[in-house]
Amino acid sequence: MTTQVIDKSLLDAAVKAMPDDRLAGLRREAADRFVSLGFPGTDHEDWKYTNLSDIEALSVAWLKGNPNLQPVSSVTDITDEVRSAIDAHWLLVRDGVADDMLPDIDGIEIERLVDADCSALSADDALSAFNVALLQDGLRIRVEPDAAPDRPLAILNIDSARQRVVQSRLVVELAAGARLELIECALSNGSGSQFTNSVVDVDLENAACLTHTRVQDRHPDHSGIYRLQASLARDANIRHSSFDFGGALSRNDVVTDIKGTGAAVGLNGLYLAGGEQHIDNHTSIIHGVGPATSDEEYRGILTGRAQCVFNGKVIVAEGADGTNSRQSNHNLLLSDRAEIDTKPELEIYADDVKCAHGATVGQLDHAALFYLQSRGLDRDQAKQILTRAFAAGMLSSLSVPACEDFVSARLDRRLAELVDDVDD
Amino acid sequence: MSKMLEIENLKARIAGNEILTGLNLVVSTGEVHAIMGPNGSGKSTLAQVIAGHADYDVTEGSVKFDGNDLLELEPEERAREGIFLGFQYPVEIPGVNNAYLLKAAVNAKRKHVGMDEIDAFEFLKLAREKMALLDMDQSFLNRGVNEGFSGGEKKRNEILQMAMLEPKLAILDETDSGLDIDALKAVANGVNALRHADRAIVLVTHYQRLLDYIEPDFVHVLSKGQIVRSGDKSLALELEEKGYEWVREVANA
Amino acid sequence: MSTQQKELESLVNRRYEHGFVTDIEQESLPPGLDEDVIRAISARKNEPEFMLEWRLKAYRHWLTIKEPEWAHVHHHPINYQDISYFSAPKSDKDRPQSLDEVDPKLLETYDKLGIPLHERARLAGVAVDAVFDSVSVATTFKDKLSEAGVIFCPFSEAVVEHPALLQKYLGTVVPHRDNFFAALNSAVFSDGSFVYIPKGVRCPMELSTYFRINAANTGQFERTLIIADEGSHVSYLEGCTAPMRDENQLHAAVVELVALEDAEIKYSTVQNWYPGDEDGKGGIYNFVTKRGDCRGANSKISWTQVETGSAITWKYPSCILRGENSVGEFYSVAVTNNLQQADTGTKMIHIGRNSSSTIVSKGISAGHAQQSYRGLVRVMPQAEGARNHTQCDSLLIGKECGAHTFPYMEVRNSGAKVEHEATTSRISENQLFYCRQRGISEEDAVNMIVNGFCKEVFKELPMEFAVEAQALLNVSLEGAVG
Repeated sequence: MTTQVIDKSLLDAAVKAMPDDRLAGLRREAADRFVSLGFPGTDHEDWKYTNLSDIEALSVAWLKGNPNLQPVSSVTDITDEVRSAIDAHWLLVRDGVADDMLPDIDGIEIERLVDADCSALSADDALSAFNVALLQDGLRIRVEPDAAPDRPLAILNIDSARQRVVQSRLVVELAAGARLELIECALSNGSGSQFTNSVVDVDLENAACLTHTRVQDRHPDHSGIYRLQASLARDANIRHSSFDFGGALSRNDVVTDIKGTGAAVGLNGLYLAGGEQHIDNHTSIIHGVGPATSDEEYRGILTGRAQCVFNGKVIVAEGADGTNSRQSNHNLLLSDRAEIDTKPELEIYADDVKCAHGATVGQLDHAALFYLQSRGLDRDQAKQILTRAFAAGMLSSLSVPACEDFVSARLDRRLAELVDDVDD
Repeated sequence: MSKMLEIENLKARIAGNEILTGLNLVVSTGEVHAIMGPNGSGKSTLAQVIAGHADYDVTEGSVKFDGNDLLELEPEERAREGIFLGFQYPVEIPGVNNAYLLKAAVNAKRKHVGMDEIDAFEFLKLAREKMALLDMDQSFLNRGVNEGFSGGEKKRNEILQMAMLEPKLAILDETDSGLDIDALKAVANGVNALRHADRAIVLVTHYQRLLDYIEPDFVHVLSKGQIVRSGDKSLALELEEKGYEWVREVANA
Repeated sequence: MSTQQKELESLVNRRYEHGFVTDIEQESLPPGLDEDVIRAISARKNEPEFMLEWRLKAYRHWLTIKEPEWAHVHHHPINYQDISYFSAPKSDKDRPQSLDEVDPKLLETYDKLGIPLHERARLAGVAVDAVFDSVSVATTFKDKLSEAGVIFCPFSEAVVEHPALLQKYLGTVVPHRDNFFAALNSAVFSDGSFVYIPKGVRCPMELSTYFRINAANTGQFERTLIIADEGSHVSYLEGCTAPMRDENQLHAAVVELVALEDAEIKYSTVQNWYPGDEDGKGGIYNFVTKRGDCRGANSKISWTQVETGSAITWKYPSCILRGENSVGEFYSVAVTNNLQQADTGTKMIHIGRNSSSTIVSKGISAGHAQQSYRGLVRVMPQAEGARNHTQCDSLLIGKECGAHTFPYMEVRNSGAKVEHEATTSRISENQLFYCRQRGISEEDAVNMIVNGFCKEVFKELPMEFAVEAQALLNVSLEGAVG
């Protein structure tokens, strides 16, 4: 592919064509910033294994083609299926734009970014800058002090997947002592290629607690970059679990910044990749102060020609004494044409710390396979059982309970497809 | 019988909190003392202060050992003078061989009293003898110090160290906690074997159970950082019967 | 700060014992690097034409590339024109045939370093090819080795005596294009060791070289090549220590190992070069490329290193596991104190079926030191049944130091099994108090804990090296606890 770079005039024209609303100033600033940064290349350490040239090419083509910014996804049976599977307060976001119906929930304030008093949106890295530059709208959710909604809040992101680029933005703020269970589902309703660039900003004040589950099961031609950046004050707690089942190229960046003592970070992730899928999870846990704890586990199952990347960084700043951190990444590599690149990193500048990380790459236990076969199961069944057992560990404690059945069903469906794809 | 340990009006604090609030205690050679009290009364603090843990600040009072000021000495000097602390939570030191630590400790003490280093053969013979007494497996010697030991194994290991070091004063901090009855008996056997006219033993414990196996000469009840009652072994039984609520009443009276 | 900590920190500040300068007249080229300098180096060594061409090719490549920046280390830029690229003891032309002929001052230096060369050589049966600065000055036990058919000689001698072997293997493991420092070394390397173990021969003794850096402002560019032919076995020891100097000295060595079918090479290093003073002044820059190629089936290459010296270390002894069932090992203890920086680790490239590798890395960081483990385990698609286990532990001593772990795992074979484990912890006050309550001084307790931490690696070292390494560790770290 020839390199197609988004140049200033192209981006400026697109930004100019957007409405002169409350976000207009932020867009122009971010556009300048993005032009100076550009899409990161594989020479950048954080992008060593993930090549964005296809996404860039799609973005260039879309920008040149006089972009249509109206949401085109129609509400379909997908929404009904998902909504009936998870008991929650629902919010529908189509191609990055929220539906008119915003739910009214006690203790939660929900508004559109174009209506909100939004003086700043982080746009430090290139993708966040790209996000703000072309941002139509987004959502801001604020939970009042000590409030704890009766049911989870669920956001259904449905994208049209028709040769377009979508920016999506979510700002989540939990006041002191507030609790929220938040579910994000990312699905496609169409079959063209699409690039969705999502950024979620989370701010947790003292003792706030966010349990967050994200399920991505998009169309095979639909690529996405997802960035979650969370800041934790004293005794705050975030439990994030992410499930990647679909999509073409998926890149998740989860950055948690511990700024208050007693805070706790829990990250779980499961990625299932087959065919030509590429799934890249980058996490960064910054222990700015201590004592605080973090616990992280990601698991992956790879078949076909899939490539998966895990890069887990734990940074313990000087003086962050009493840090306790555990991290692990386990991978089942079920095909010789698949590739896993894993890199669990520790950067430690304090001495009173306890940190451990581990990573493994392996395959199904042949003895266990044989055992199941000797009990009358056929080989595919046996493989599926063992593979599922490996994945099931990630369905547990960290995720929002209300979506467990939904995730479990999607997992089974995807596993059945993947196991067919396994080499012997 | 001569005075070995003399504690006068001892006040000590950790991280700004005063735990010992004016404690007095005299222990003479040949005696076994039991110090009992509810959680948080200062039992372990007393043990740690005598051993010289740096986290505790002594703000007032004095501690003498054989007539000399103990508080001036570094922890290792106190150990070499003959004070042994059996830890409530023995520390794991991965990678360091149990026998190696034991030998280094024995030699540090021998050097202090002007003796030659123990030779490897003699050391092993002595260690095996003591281990048999404690019903400990030989393999203990080759494991990392307390590394992966069960609660009972750790406590036996403490008693083994005590038996090898032959201290003048042994302070056993909650040595009975977490032990099943067999382990408790083995530990008690080890302690009883060390009872000697030249030696004193201080048992720090929450329950009177241990005292069924190691009979104390004196029992002291600690509350809010002071000894509020002293008596003979019958005090322990009384305490068991009436509970620590009773102690609080006594203390407040 | 507790009193314990203060004492410990004062102990850390012990001065470097091996700091002194031997006053031997140097025959050096003036500082600077261009093609003429390379021609001069080559001419002085009476090298054949192929060698000069090889150097020039490397130099021309070096001119086109930039110094790498990815390592987790910081230093002032190096001016490569300020370095003198050749220095040799004056007695180069008529080199001593035995130790008796060796400059007594040099022997004295070794004595001060605790390396009684002749004694050690005789008593331990070790052949010592002592490199003083750039040129080898003493080679012993040549007869015994040549009886077995083993070639163990200065690199410059091999260039002249064994050009065919050299041409066949030189640069086949670390090509001159490999990296910036390898290119520089290929252009200007001064001397080093050459070892060839013939088919089926078990080298009758451990081969040992003591490297020293002496002349001020003289970069050292050793080049070592070890070839273990089919079914042979060799254990090679490399140890180094340097006099105290103010100027930063660049050291960019290249070590190439080739193990053919069923051959085994064990390469052990104790590195104790001058680390710089408490303020980070002086000290060696140690940018080394070490790589072994397990070329034949069932071959094995094992790297063991104890690194306590140098201001900056940048070193990744690696294995290319090409042969079926080939085995790569990396055992490392790295200690950094004061302002030392180390970015070290290994690469295991699995190509052969059922190749396996083991990595055990123990890093100890004290003072203001920064240390990184950087490792790569790559399993190529054809490496069916490849296995790797990595254990990577860091021990932190003091509030101001850092320990970082960057393990890369790239796996492209579904029959491979790769495991990585890492921990970071510190020597706790509780551990120290426990030891002290048993009458053991804090210093001894720290040594005991550190040696326990490193035990897995020390047991891989040849006996006499293990003792030396342990002593070195204690000196480097005395008392550093927070």
